[in-house]
Amino acid sequence: MAVRQQKRLFSRKKICRFCVDKELHIDYKDQKTLRNYVTERGKIIPRRILGTCATHQRQLCSAVKKARQIALLPYSGNTQS
Amino acid sequence: MRRYEQIYILRPSLSEDEITRVVENTNKLILDDEGGIIYLDKWGMRKLAYPIKKELQGYYVLCDFAASPEVVSEIERKFRIDDTVLKYLTVKVSDAISAEEISAAQTEAAAQAVALETEDETEESEKPEKVSEEVSSKEAPSKEAPSKEVPSKEVPSKEAPSEEAPSKEVPSKEVPTEDTAQ
Repeated sequence: MAVRQQKRLFSRKKICRFCVDKELHIDYKDQKTLRNYVTERGKIIPRRILGTCATHQRQLCSAVKKARQIALLPYSGNTQS
Repeated sequence: MRRYEQIYILRPSLSEDEITRVVENTNKLILDDEGGIIYLDKWGMRKLAYPIKKELQGYYVLCDFAASPEVVSEIERKFRIDDTVLKYLTVKVSDAISAEEISAAQTEAAAQAVALETEDETEESEKPEKVSEEVSSKEAPSKEAPSKEVPSKEVPSKEAPSEEAPSKEVPSKEVPTEDTAQ
């Protein structure tokens, strides 16, 4: 069935890019890199698609939320350049 | 003394004098209480991601300082009253920073600023930090791996050229080697 196929697709192994590359640091002030982890409408990309580990996903989330607070990223709408 | 990082946004219609006045008042509050200002950076005018108080642009100021928590609440109280400050965000970087760590951080921040001005990406002359803080971990010496370039997140400034991976709309399954370089 369709549901079973979807489950199989997402269960392949993924590596957390922050764990692998120690130099990538998550900073709420860094709008340019944070935009990679956010969709075009400003939503945070879920962990199962990005492949990050739980710790880094939490850090990413709080960084995006802080950036939204100081208007570096929008809450919703297009992420303008 | 705790170490804080504060960003505040001022109205775009202010003149230079008024901006410096606001910044100086804030710094005075910190210094009066025997705190230390580690790093002050004015990002300048930027476009806001959403209108704040009907303004579409804002003047950003970043201040990295060490102070006691009462000073911080006093600063925030003043910001709330002041009409010219649109938004502020204070983040605690570390608990309990001592005097010599403050001066060490100050010199390191100054060195970082100079390094950024000369756009020297191969500079590895940062002093080893005693306190493990968030800011210092960002300024870690860049070990240039053979396949990757210098990390983009050295200093919280927007002057670094942007070369992003084009996948923004559709969250694609990316391989870890393909990440934002420079």
